[in-house]
Amino acid sequence: MGSRIRNDVVRLFECFCEVAGPSKEITVPWILQKFPEHYRKDELLETVPNFAYPCDFDRTMIQHYSFVLTNAESKWIFGFCRHDPKSETALVVLSYLPWHESFYKLLNCISNLTNSNNSKDLWPFLESVYNSKLPIKGLDLKINSDSGEELFVCQSPIQFQLPSIPENRNLTEYYSAVDCQNMIIIFASMLFERRIIFTSKKLYRLSACVQSANAVLYPMNWQHIFIPVLPQSLIDYLLAPMPYLIGLPHSLFQSLQRNDLGDVVILDADNNTIETPFDDLENLPTDVVSTLRRQLRNKGTLLGDGVSRAFLRALVKLIGGYRDALKFHQGERITFNKEAFIESRSANMQPFLKKMLELQIFQQFIEERLEMLNAGLGFSDEFEMEVCNYHEKSSNRLKHQYKDWTFTMKREGTALFKTVKNAVKERGKDFRLAYKDIRSKFNAPNKNPRTKIGTHPNSAPNSPSMQKRQSWSHTTASASYRKETANGLQKLTTSQNFKDSSISPLPQINLNLMEDLKEVIFRTCDNDDPRKYTSSWDDSVKSNFIINDDLINSSFGSMPSESPMETKDLIRLDSTSSIDDFDPLNSPTNSHGLVPGVGLSNPLYQYFVPLNKTQLETKNNNDLLNEYGLNFDLLSCTDQPGPSMSTSQPPVPPLPPKPPNFKSNWTKFE
Amino acid sequence: MAKEYDHLFKLLIIGDSGVGKSSLLVRFADNTFSGSYITTIGVDFKIRTVIVDGEKVKLQIWDTAGQERFRTITSTYYRGTHGVIVVYDVSNGDSFANVKRWLHEIDQNCEVVNRILVGNKNDAPDRKVVLTEDAQRFADQMGIQLYETSAKDNINVEQMFMSITKQVLRNKKETKERQAHQNNDVVNLRKGHSKGAKRKCC
Repeated sequence: MGSRIRNDVVRLFECFCEVAGPSKEITVPWILQKFPEHYRKDELLETVPNFAYPCDFDRTMIQHYSFVLTNAESKWIFGFCRHDPKSETALVVLSYLPWHESFYKLLNCISNLTNSNNSKDLWPFLESVYNSKLPIKGLDLKINSDSGEELFVCQSPIQFQLPSIPENRNLTEYYSAVDCQNMIIIFASMLFERRIIFTSKKLYRLSACVQSANAVLYPMNWQHIFIPVLPQSLIDYLLAPMPYLIGLPHSLFQSLQRNDLGDVVILDADNNTIETPFDDLENLPTDVVSTLRRQLRNKGTLLGDGVSRAFLRALVKLIGGYRDALKFHQGERITFNKEAFIESRSANMQPFLKKMLELQIFQQFIEERLEMLNAGLGFSDEFEMEVCNYHEKSSNRLKHQYKDWTFTMKREGTALFKTVKNAVKERGKDFRLAYKDIRSKFNAPNKNPRTKIGTHPNSAPNSPSMQKRQSWSHTTASASYRKETANGLQKLTTSQNFKDSSISPLPQINLNLMEDLKEVIFRTCDNDDPRKYTSSWDDSVKSNFIINDDLINSSFGSMPSESPMETKDLIRLDSTSSIDDFDPLNSPTNSHGLVPGVGLSNPLYQYFVPLNKTQLETKNNNDLLNEYGLNFDLLSCTDQPGPSMSTSQPPVPPLPPKPPNFKSNWTKFE
Repeated sequence: MAKEYDHLFKLLIIGDSGVGKSSLLVRFADNTFSGSYITTIGVDFKIRTVIVDGEKVKLQIWDTAGQERFRTITSTYYRGTHGVIVVYDVSNGDSFANVKRWLHEIDQNCEVVNRILVGNKNDAPDRKVVLTEDAQRFADQMGIQLYETSAKDNINVEQMFMSITKQVLRNKKETKERQAHQNNDVVNLRKGHSKGAKRKCC
């Protein structure tokens, strides 16, 4: 499979070590102490000191960085390091999880405990972290001291989240050290699977850049040698003839015999310069590069996941056509047709696509998707969503119009929502109590047998989120909302006042909307024979699905199929297409309360699937609203959406919601 | 500075884990006691210098972890190498199947890569499941040499490595000759041209 992250991780970290640095007496670094003491992976432990002190480096400031070890199955183990100028030792935590931010925090806690008067608390602290269960996606793991003081909080990453700036330290560092043009050259070099060296005087910059260069390849994963920080003792490994991505501390770089290396791409992350003997950038389709460059240079959208998404969109253009190349016949495994893949994109892209087929990273990506499809698993992730968005944009003129309109709707929705939120806050608890009941009714209609069957490990049958319509709306790419907003703004602001009802192009679009709504409803409800809806689907929507005559799983992607073993050729390439456009409350953090999907969903954090998800933190607006029993997704389904969105209604809380109405509305389609 | 070798060849050893790639390398390598990093950084290599027809050939043989996860090994993986040693375990049919698939794939996609097929663990006849005839037939079909080895008993290991080395060396020389042949006229022209230019300068 493509991922290099283990998917059977049971604990937050595997081992903690305190490593003593080289000194006059003992010239090699060595492990002073470790936890748990019974940790006996000697090969790993022997290597750790070298990676904790890879070379002579600047120790004048506190520095966090990570190194990566690769086991015999080619899975990664991360070593998170903390160097403190006041200390003669380095703190190292080994883990299979790539959660940089959390582990850097953990190292700070450990350091505090080590240096403070209560250093005796360190071992109990480590023990409680070690023995804690991994937090469910989006939830926190909290470790308190005996006195109840909060020592450490580890937030497990949210699903469907691309690395974002500034939260993701690695990407933030990469983006600030390396300019757009050079990021794109590295991206191109990685797509051509070159031998690539990054160098920097700062270890944290080195590891951050290497990690991020791989992260922006999502949904693909670097399949070759990957050593974010190479210790001096292993410098000969730069001679490897195979593709690699290696971070080389600058002091070692200087001593390098460049002639021996052969053709390598070298990024100096301190000076933001690249040397490459290849024309990889020129060999990428020009329109993909120009769009990518434009998006990366647009400073306004780069906070959040703008950078990650720009690369993701480039990849959608390059490889999103893989879905058109999937072939399936009844009773046979789904296969990938290379010719169809090449033909899936315009002629100017085809030379590159042919090369794409020769890439290990692409092969593994395809293998992974095929394996899941053939196992009867649906999946849904940021990549698939962007593919749908892309299809949509390029296919249907009406959709553009429609988008403008939905943008208006979103704006209305947001304004409306803000007022609602305020009102809700004011009314406080009473309000909550009053609608608790209603909320439960909302959930009730979806408690159908299909959702209960979900014993599949990739689903979260007990998750309340599965029973909400919100559960598919999560598939909306959060930043695509932002981008649409931005696009829409350009188109609309000059002429339109969003509160002005007269400008709505509603009558035209309404039909289209209803088609989409059908899909929405169709996917949310349990249907005996979902096929009957397909005929009414908008063509562009339909084109995003591959539909099996025998069975169409009406559920959304991450829901379990009723019995994957029996359903031959089930294929659910999760498509949300225009559904995205419906969520008026879509916000960048609208990822709580999601249906946990199959592990492909996240570029970095694809290791586990929550089984029970009942106490989601309510952190964003949408969730807050949900907490008060309001779900705009449901509401937009309930009301005839058109008029309510476009008229200049005073933004009063649209309460109470009407469950019966809702119900009658969706049953109408059955 | 006098070169410590006349040729440097980088070879790859591929095959499922457990077929004995590391053992073969250790058998062959000069520096038997240098540590192995295959389980810590996912890549390892061994070095040995051999003499072939009076020429010093330095060999680096590279191994990476987890190759069995690749259904196909794509050409980018072989790009920088001079030759590939493809290993299966004669007592493991699956490992042979994988190797067949990879070799077919190389055949379809890559330019000529020097290859050699190796059936390792050929030391326990009762456990042997990949018959020599079958493997030989496949090797012939692919136009490559087959060696059955035992790293454990040190059977055929030396011969196998020498064989691939000779093959790579022969190939290199042939390519050079061919290029020299092709470029003959061009070289002459250039020479004449540069001479002319020099005269002008003087």
